[in-house]
Amino acid sequence: MANKKYTKEELAGFYRTMTRIRAFEEKAAECFTKGMLAGNIHLSIGQEAAAAGAFAAMQPQDYFTSTHRGHGHAIARGMDSKLAMAELFGKKTGYCKGKGGSMHIADMAKMNHLGANGIVGAGQAISAGSALASKIAGDDSVTVGCFGDGSTNEGTFHESLNMAAAWKLPVVWFIENNCYGVSTEIHRVTNTPDLAPRAAAYGVPYAVVDGTNPTEVYETMLTAMEHARSGKGPYVVEAKVYRYQGHYCGDPAVYRPAEYMENALQNDAIEKLGRRLLEAGATQEELDAMKQAADEEMTAAVQFAVDSDYPDPAEATTDMYASDNERCVAR
Amino acid sequence: MSKKITVSKAIGEALHEEMLRDEKVFIMGEDMAVMGNVFAITKGFLEEFGPNRVIDTPISEEGFCGMAVGAAMRGMRPVVELMYNDFATVAADPLLNQAAKMRYMTGGQATVPMVLRAPMGAGRRNAGQHSQSLENLFCHFPGLKVVAPCTAKDAKGLLKTAIRDDDPVIFLEHKLLYARKEEIPEEEYTIPLGLADVKREGKDLTIITWSREVNFSMEAAETLAAEGIDVEVLDLRTLVPLDWDSIVKSVSKTHNVIIVSEEVKRGSYAGEISAQIAEELFDELDAPVERVCGLNICSPFSPTLEDENFPHPETIVKAVKRVLNK
Amino acid sequence: MAFEVLMPQLGLTMEEGTVSEWKKHEGDAVKVGDVILEITTDKLTNEVTSEFEGTLLKIVAQEGEDVPVKGLLAYIGQPGEAVGGASAPAAAPAETAPVAAAPAAAPAPAPAAANGKRIRISPLARKTAAKLGVDYSGLTGSGSSGRITQKDIFAAAEAQKNAPAAVAPAAAPAAKPAARSGGLELMEGDTVVKLAGMRKVVAERMWASHNEIPPVTQNIKVDVTALMKFRKMLLAETGKKYSVNDLILKATAKCLRQHPEMLVSYDGDRIIQRAHVNLGVAVALDAGLIVPVIRDADKMGLDALSAAAKDLAARAKENKLTPDEYKGSTFTVSNLGMFGIETFTPIINQPDAAILGVCAIADELDMDEEGKLYKKQVMRLSVTLDHRLLDGAVVAKFEMDLRDLLQNPMQIVL
Repeated sequence: MANKKYTKEELAGFYRTMTRIRAFEEKAAECFTKGMLAGNIHLSIGQEAAAAGAFAAMQPQDYFTSTHRGHGHAIARGMDSKLAMAELFGKKTGYCKGKGGSMHIADMAKMNHLGANGIVGAGQAISAGSALASKIAGDDSVTVGCFGDGSTNEGTFHESLNMAAAWKLPVVWFIENNCYGVSTEIHRVTNTPDLAPRAAAYGVPYAVVDGTNPTEVYETMLTAMEHARSGKGPYVVEAKVYRYQGHYCGDPAVYRPAEYMENALQNDAIEKLGRRLLEAGATQEELDAMKQAADEEMTAAVQFAVDSDYPDPAEATTDMYASDNERCVAR
Repeated sequence: MSKKITVSKAIGEALHEEMLRDEKVFIMGEDMAVMGNVFAITKGFLEEFGPNRVIDTPISEEGFCGMAVGAAMRGMRPVVELMYNDFATVAADPLLNQAAKMRYMTGGQATVPMVLRAPMGAGRRNAGQHSQSLENLFCHFPGLKVVAPCTAKDAKGLLKTAIRDDDPVIFLEHKLLYARKEEIPEEEYTIPLGLADVKREGKDLTIITWSREVNFSMEAAETLAAEGIDVEVLDLRTLVPLDWDSIVKSVSKTHNVIIVSEEVKRGSYAGEISAQIAEELFDELDAPVERVCGLNICSPFSPTLEDENFPHPETIVKAVKRVLNK
Repeated sequence: MAFEVLMPQLGLTMEEGTVSEWKKHEGDAVKVGDVILEITTDKLTNEVTSEFEGTLLKIVAQEGEDVPVKGLLAYIGQPGEAVGGASAPAAAPAETAPVAAAPAAAPAPAPAAANGKRIRISPLARKTAAKLGVDYSGLTGSGSSGRITQKDIFAAAEAQKNAPAAVAPAAAPAAKPAARSGGLELMEGDTVVKLAGMRKVVAERMWASHNEIPPVTQNIKVDVTALMKFRKMLLAETGKKYSVNDLILKATAKCLRQHPEMLVSYDGDRIIQRAHVNLGVAVALDAGLIVPVIRDADKMGLDALSAAAKDLAARAKENKLTPDEYKGSTFTVSNLGMFGIETFTPIINQPDAAILGVCAIADELDMDEEGKLYKKQVMRLSVTLDHRLLDGAVVAKFEMDLRDLLQNPMQIVL
């Protein structure tokens, strides 16, 4: 599979997604630094190829869960950057009407996005539960649970994977291993070089891939999705990635050795894919045009967010309950 | 027409009827399927509905509660059973951070129509980790609805409504009520959430209570009646949403209130209700509102110790007299 | 700028009033003449009508609050208009400022018990006390820790109602008795009510009268057989039913006109000769006594006098007398006849010089000139006089003339 020849157009598809992710994150970082955003944001710069590759393997009927570092997943799934940026700004035009923010972007209707999640490990059980729903309902959707290396040490990883395996649920877990849980390097707290092999303990197949190579991720995920969709149960894919920023935007990441970023920049996924595209016949102008388009899209998204209104304070008490909301929030 | 069945059978009937009614309803929990639940509530369900909808889980409370959230977000209606409500602390994140908040965090996009059935309460000599009443914990978290019925009729009617409700509902069942045989209607019925039941009218004092303490309060009311003290017993049945109108009506009539629950007194939902009454019905009160709850201790094991830790009819009688200075 | 609604002065002696009920609420439209609130004083309940048109913007004095005369009660103005000192234009005349800032606007301090301790009272009891006008500062509560409960307030209100009625003067200003500190020991079952309101006024006036006046009470027996027949005859001939009291009032007024020496007032080093026969008529109320006054009773026909007496008594019972209607008496009549009282020693309603007590009518046997027994109806009149001003013989003449008049009833109306 790794030797599959990709056309210029196929590679450009990944390139477009990856440059959009980076442009969104850089714009968000710029706005955050200028004090235009409330709260915190966690950026996925350096992890673009993993998201682009994994989500290319999904079909429209599939579902996914995401994490606090989730902008890239949503963009790869076709997110409307305006609604996402507005959500980061806390505006009422955002995906969640400004009620969730960066860590809770969801789009149940168009993306089958069951939500980014602020609790590390929560998506493991939720994605398995979504797969349980697919199994009971007998539909052919697969749920992809995205999470980071840190969450593999949560109890839910083991509880959920165990049940998903026992009941052959159509779920694929996609671990983006950037080696850091906030400041803690994964190997200081974990004894194994890789994380995916834990799946073997539950009789679940797994793969470890280079997360800076979108086509490798894509091909592995295709295998995983097919496995799950065919009723054979879960599959775990671990993609090795780099987290360029600290844990959150503005974290100087002083806890990290300099080599980490040196390696990261040498392996920059967008640079590498750009070179492949040139080899495949694309021109620098075409690459620049794609970057330019992504940049313009995200500039427009920021403008949309800036122009949008904040929610009416009275909205604070809506959407808590599906029924009898007023009475339930009153006392 | 009515029939006399146990509370546990009434709960089983509610589950059975709703599973027949809506194929999105499924049940999961420890020992639910093959064994049919430790209280035999779901006996025979596995054979009737099959393993996809009657699921024995491993002992992974956080995992299967979280999976119920995911399934519910997909439009299923999971009814999950925790063997004891005490285990909610093991499953705290999916219940309190996920199920409760998902709708709000997503700006109203997600609904989590799950029910968590959780046996609760003291009196079975099960010690510190199997005897608690954690209403306060669940009621604290916006997004959850909380039901705590006492009678067989209420348990069935409210559980059916809870299953049909689009919000996550915590359904608290007192273990010592399961075996009680009571009259319930023969025909199908539901009872709306958030509607209290005046179990006994009275003019001197209102006892606000729920779950097993309703029965104790009724016993206390009889004792008090013989002494010329006429108390009203208000069974809340649902804790969130709270039937405030019924509380206002009763307190405005009797002007004296005690709130009876098995909770740890400190930080109890009884205290929350007391605070609301003090805030909003201050001018109706003729005496301070008293909480009649458990002690601020770990649930003890030995009978003589455990009996100290939840209100009995005699405790309630004493509290009523204390408030009325009789 | 919004208009201020102030506590009116109802009668010369009024110093403060209590807001008993707001008939209009904040935001209500108010027209000139609309009743906006009800106030009570120690004597009466009065409606306060609006002199302004607009919206009741803000209620400053809450129900139950005591507000001095001219104290601020509320603001009436246009919706949205700011009220109070803050928005007053700088050019506003200084005289309005003190009113707005008057102590009336400040919340009434929480009442304290005689010993200075905070009173334990339930919120409901406090509200009920304000509604019923019960002063709870002296009550002993039946609730836990001695808390006063609603039941205690009801009991206190009931006790006020049933307090024994004594003949009481009203309007005369009197020196206040020195407050006596209560030192009585309570016995089992005792309840305590603070001396307040009308009861307090009655107590003060009675005490003053009794201590100041050297009294003499003189009883005289009246044969009312003819009077009773006359009353029946009036009923038969005119269809009008007059009470015995009506006839006595009429006779008294007429007799007083013939005895102006009875109509005097003691005033330090002066004696005031009163020009008018203004008859005070003691009326027993649940809360005490009040003495409405029939002015120039001697100039009224029996009909008018009867109607006036009835009207004043009725309105006294409804708390609806105006202050002018219970002051200015020159002689007072107190009738306990309906209670079977044979004689009593009425206490003078200052600044009158005498008071007529009317007693019960009873059958009596007598002997005529031929020695035959016959039955007659008799009644005693008990007149108390202020011996500083009047002497026994002088008053005896008045009493004899009044007796004669009553024994020849046709003379009463002629």
